[in-house]
Amino acid sequence: MEKISITGLGIVSPSGIDKRVFWANIKAGRSAVEKIERFDASLYPSRIAGHVRELEGYSNVSSRLLKKIDLFSHMALVASQLCLDDAKINLTQENLKRVGIFMGNAIGGWLYAETELRDMYLEGREGVSPFMASAWFPAAPQGQISIHYGIKGFSKTIVADRASSLMAIGYAARTIIRGKCDFILAGGMEAPVTPYALLCCNTSGMLSKNNDNPKGAYRPFDRNRDGLAIAEGAGVLTLEGQTRVKQREGAHVYANIIGYGTTTDAVNRITPSPDAKQLANAIKIALGDAMLKTTDIDYICADGAGSQLGDATETKAIQDVFGEYASKIIVSAPKSIYGNMLGASGVLDVITTCLAIEHSMVPPTINYETPDPQCDLNLCINKAQEKVIKNAMIINRGRGGINCVLILQKP
Amino acid sequence: MNTQTEIETKLKSIFKKVLDIQENEIVPGARLDESLGIDSTEMVEISVVIKKELGIILKDNELKKIHSFNDIVGILKNRTS
Repeated sequence: MEKISITGLGIVSPSGIDKRVFWANIKAGRSAVEKIERFDASLYPSRIAGHVRELEGYSNVSSRLLKKIDLFSHMALVASQLCLDDAKINLTQENLKRVGIFMGNAIGGWLYAETELRDMYLEGREGVSPFMASAWFPAAPQGQISIHYGIKGFSKTIVADRASSLMAIGYAARTIIRGKCDFILAGGMEAPVTPYALLCCNTSGMLSKNNDNPKGAYRPFDRNRDGLAIAEGAGVLTLEGQTRVKQREGAHVYANIIGYGTTTDAVNRITPSPDAKQLANAIKIALGDAMLKTTDIDYICADGAGSQLGDATETKAIQDVFGEYASKIIVSAPKSIYGNMLGASGVLDVITTCLAIEHSMVPPTINYETPDPQCDLNLCINKAQEKVIKNAMIINRGRGGINCVLILQKP
Repeated sequence: MNTQTEIETKLKSIFKKVLDIQENEIVPGARLDESLGIDSTEMVEISVVIKKELGIILKDNELKKIHSFNDIVGILKNRTS
């Protein structure tokens, strides 16, 4: 595929909101997963999560608007502004009809929805805020970003569980290639640390129950893994085509998107297919799209769901496609540091990989202690490792058998 | 509560609460959409709070005719007199 450049990064995460703080925490493998204390979670099987701190310090959203939107829209607005600042893009000088917004989200804005539903049962239908209708649904942040900046171009919100934002980025890149937009704000947001959302995540059976050791709970590819720790946050990128990047003064390219592939397992509504064939196919499609050989890939940012089947089948797909070279490629799941942001996990993986390419340093998987023969990969464990990364592959998977693969190249 | 001043004071407190604005931002005769950027959803929110706090239901045909703060004061005054 034609190269699409990533020229701006906006991060709202448990590991930091500022780009430098985020990278310092990732590099050091400092866990940000904590016990949930925002509400009484004592009866939940899993009660740990990555929490965003100090959002208000970075926010220019008015208190009047904050009453009408959910936390996931607030985080998306802050990430968008940070991204535009980072990209040095002045929207007053852009044709806003040619700017798009592509966001990914899995579960919607439940903090707002839960509060209003409680009021509906306590006070009747008039207890519900009229803003409920426009606050909770997955495309609400896209709408708020468009209103805030007056962005009027072709835009979409993708709902594909934990693959949502990686898929949104893939579609955004293709939209620029098709000539529908000049540049796109692409990414995702998720706010699952609420009583009902946490309950739904728990019933999926995907969460770690290692509540006594929050920082050590999320351990992708470790033999004693028992699931993921959820996290809240948002990430936004600016995507631009090559001609525009060359013409735009001050544009800095973190990485180029050069390949994308997606498939579905068609087997089970929650668990991935045990044969991993469709994930392997998605990897092959992305490699073909990028016109790369397997030996061209220097680093794989893995999905690392932390489930027994998830990590074993991800390993199998990598081994099936890469063959003997699979034991040589360095692999990690840096989301083990701050938690799994579900629909926003893909954009955070892209941001982390961009910073890894820029700093020539592989971000680690943390909490890895006991090797698992079913996950026999060359993992970067606990601390970052120096390595020049020319081509990197990012894998995201979602419930319902969704497989998504994106390939980035050093500029 | 039926004097003009009492109604205005109460309505201003409702506006402040719903819209998160300062009292001096309210221009009684000005259009609500132009002076305070009030949209139809915020108008519904204001009418819900009026019902809760004053027990007065603004009907749909009345809501459509409201353009200013003074318009609401007029309706409330008629209902309470």
